[in-house]
Amino acid sequence: MLCRFRAAWDRVILGVLLCVVAVAAYALTFPELTGRVVDDAGILDPSTKAALERKLAEFETKTTGQLVVVTLKSLQGTSIEDYGYQLGRHWQIGQKEKNTGALLVVAPNERKVRIEVGYGFEGTLTDAVSKLIIENSIIPRLRANDFAGGIGRGVDDIIQAVSVDSEEWKARAKRRPDDEPSLLDVLALLFFLFVFFMIVRSVARQDRGYAQTGAGPRRGARGPIFIPIPGSWGSSGSSWSGGFPGGGGFSGGGSFGGGGASGSW
Amino acid sequence: MSHTLYVPRRPRVPLFAVLAGLLLSGCGVNNIPTYDESAKAKWSDVQNQYQRRADLIPNLVETVKGYAAQEREVLTQVTEARAKASQIKVDASTVTDPAKFKEFQDAQNALTGALGRLLVTVERYPDLKSNQNFLALQSQLEGTENRISVARRDYIDSVRAYNTELKTFPGVIWASTLYRSYKPMETFTVAEDLAKPPTVKF
Repeated sequence: MLCRFRAAWDRVILGVLLCVVAVAAYALTFPELTGRVVDDAGILDPSTKAALERKLAEFETKTTGQLVVVTLKSLQGTSIEDYGYQLGRHWQIGQKEKNTGALLVVAPNERKVRIEVGYGFEGTLTDAVSKLIIENSIIPRLRANDFAGGIGRGVDDIIQAVSVDSEEWKARAKRRPDDEPSLLDVLALLFFLFVFFMIVRSVARQDRGYAQTGAGPRRGARGPIFIPIPGSWGSSGSSWSGGFPGGGGFSGGGSFGGGGASGSW
Repeated sequence: MSHTLYVPRRPRVPLFAVLAGLLLSGCGVNNIPTYDESAKAKWSDVQNQYQRRADLIPNLVETVKGYAAQEREVLTQVTEARAKASQIKVDASTVTDPAKFKEFQDAQNALTGALGRLLVTVERYPDLKSNQNFLALQSQLEGTENRISVARRDYIDSVRAYNTELKTFPGVIWASTLYRSYKPMETFTVAEDLAKPPTVKF
């Protein structure tokens, strides 16, 4: 009895340790995706925020792209480039198939700003275009402490840059390797075909055996196969994105690879 | 007891075949090839981003030459480092060959260093710094360096998963039976000092 209790207790400790490891691997904490404007730093007044939200929602319905504005209390000791792409991946901004998502990240305490560009927008919202928007539209206003003006103008410019011939880039975004069937899918298919073939063959053999002798199973019969039963099976390994909790209902599964530009003021 | 030793009748054989299939895939028989493919995909991402950087350099060098032709030394260094990095043949086998991998990494790091020195030198030329073409190139280069670091980190993560699978249970069973040709992959040694801009004495 005591022994069983010990074993259960050990398992609990192991579970806790695993959780700690998982958290440590993440290291950064991210604000919750509460809407298209996440004002974690609290630098936008409600009316500006509402106006931005409307603009971003309209952009989303018109183009199927997704742009989210986020202000951060702290970069937690890392660079805005590092934080930006991890936040984009964490929130999964942009549609999964197209990866058309972008983030406008403002960190007022570190005086840094960044446009983080999803894979699907890298063609239109290039690094150079992002840099120009930051240097010409955003930074001069942020220097004057006009956060609403800088962010508003930045959003306008990003929308404009992305709206230009978006059709052509949609096709390009689809070619991301993530969306192609993985080798695993093929392997799994082959494996099941193989199993199916084995079944058919063994059944066919046995039928023949019965027909010829009329006696019990002869050739097809073998001893039972013993295989250790794992704790869980069927982990297919294919990527099921879009399952993050707290996604605010509209994180689409888009991914980021470090595209975009940053600036400081 | 008797039912385990019992020679199964007809319907049992298909049942065992199906069970065997499900259990084998449950034992992670697919994991090694899956992680292998994923790591290789990440590796080609790394290569793409390094290639993208190499493609930017000729234009950058030309633009800088137009304003700062006297900085011949640092310009030559960049061009040579780029040529050296491009000469190295990189393919899928590079990741499992420590010597080749190190050669690749060293060459790319040398190019990173040379580019860093070039960008520091450029600070002395206000005309060049305000040139629109140069600004565009510079932002592209910055963006590419950032993409490289993201791609490298993704690669490191997926190689870690792959190598761990090769060495831990139950992957180690499959590695020593079905997948003997699968070798552990090399990974980048994170050299943080390279990420910092080099100090240059004038």
